[in-house]
Amino acid sequence: MDAYFASVEQQANPKLRGKPIAVIGSGGRTVITTRSYEARKYGIKTGMNVYEAKKVCPHLIFVVGDNEKYTHTCKELQKIYLQFTPDVEAYSIDEAFLDITTTHHLFKGPEVIGQSIKDQIKKLFGITCTAGIAPNILIAKLASDIAKPDGLKWVKPEEIEPLLRNLPLQELWGIGSGLAEKLEAFGIKTCGELGRAPVSLLRNKFGIMGEHLKAMGMGQCSRPLSVHPGDPKSIGHSMTFPKDLSERKDIEAEMLKLSEMVGRRARRYGFIGKKVTLIVRYPDFETFSKQTTLYDYTNSTHEIYKNALGILNSIRLEKNVRLIGVSLSSLLRDSGQMLLFEEQRKEKALLQAIDAVNDRYGDFKLIWASYLEQTEPPRVISPAWKPSGIRHINVKR
Amino acid sequence: MPMDIGETISVIASFGLPYRIRPVRFRWSGKLFEVKDVTYSWQTREGQNRIYHFSISDGQTLYELSFDTSSLLWKMEKVEA
Repeated sequence: MDAYFASVEQQANPKLRGKPIAVIGSGGRTVITTRSYEARKYGIKTGMNVYEAKKVCPHLIFVVGDNEKYTHTCKELQKIYLQFTPDVEAYSIDEAFLDITTTHHLFKGPEVIGQSIKDQIKKLFGITCTAGIAPNILIAKLASDIAKPDGLKWVKPEEIEPLLRNLPLQELWGIGSGLAEKLEAFGIKTCGELGRAPVSLLRNKFGIMGEHLKAMGMGQCSRPLSVHPGDPKSIGHSMTFPKDLSERKDIEAEMLKLSEMVGRRARRYGFIGKKVTLIVRYPDFETFSKQTTLYDYTNSTHEIYKNALGILNSIRLEKNVRLIGVSLSSLLRDSGQMLLFEEQRKEKALLQAIDAVNDRYGDFKLIWASYLEQTEPPRVISPAWKPSGIRHINVKR
Repeated sequence: MPMDIGETISVIASFGLPYRIRPVRFRWSGKLFEVKDVTYSWQTREGQNRIYHFSISDGQTLYELSFDTSSLLWKMEKVEA
């Protein structure tokens, strides 16, 4: 999608169309998550804070993002893609890969599919997207980046080599500034040079990644689509607070809420875990995490919270707390084994009852009393959000 | 900036294709407004309740209406001040 969140907001509010806008979160310490193409002309970048952005473009319009609008649209987009192939990977909230190898002949070819998707999205939502078509996802992503906004580009196999010949390394998906700098130290500045570099040189410097890098330089990519993602390695939630927390009771209450979010998601998708991790970030962004291994597998909110609290009790917080995260890992599918002790059975029944109420009336309708006094922190959508599966999380505006 | 309202209102809507649900007119604060344009629509869930949201314009002001399929009530959610 082209400037996804910003395009949705411009479509929803005609007064914003054609103007430089930036979508931000609702919290006091928010940063720009997306900016319109009009804002990009002024040098507005994702990740800038409001103050920085105003300095660059004083007439920039800030719009508080509405996550529910974006997630609903993303789910509807998925339905459009599935008309053309069952092999769809929702890579992020605004990007998807479609494998049309075995279906394109049914729709008069790849370009017709690309154009048809673009037309449907424009008709249904009034927003634009760019389609990149290529023999693999590395080049398809590049084609899409080149053709943005509102473009359609098909890179055929014979066009890959000339396209990559003088292309700067960082234009290629998966090569960031750090890696590009390391490659430049060897005199490799373009994708073409990367593809021609001796594999022994790359392997010496980057290990097994060296071969992968050479293949990338040649426009090759063997990564299959992740259509049916495997079981997750961990389930976690974190929160950045509108104000740094100093009071122990506030920190504990937030940990309880995070433990409930983790436990509820684990229960919903039928997972139990044996390791609990607590992540703490200070205002200066110093971050540390500590893990504990449980005696038994669990997805109980109370067990997760108790162990996260155990970790908190074992450390000395040196500063106020900007962010807390709780996660459950070493996951197994919950086989639904009968619990041995009465106490455990009662707790499981209680959690089932709480989940049933929240399933019926909405998340956090029935909550732990110690969380009642907490103010609701701003909700920020994770880039890893997916329209289905365990990474699908109900978000609020 | 939009202003949060959250008032239950009366709406005349059309149900059926091609839009499924589309507000046509609404009464708010004793005045009748004509919906000139539905600029965006999306759905949310509150537990098992499905709620339809509409960004609409009467030609001058932008409003956000919602329709709760469980209570069958319409709400004026926001008004762009």
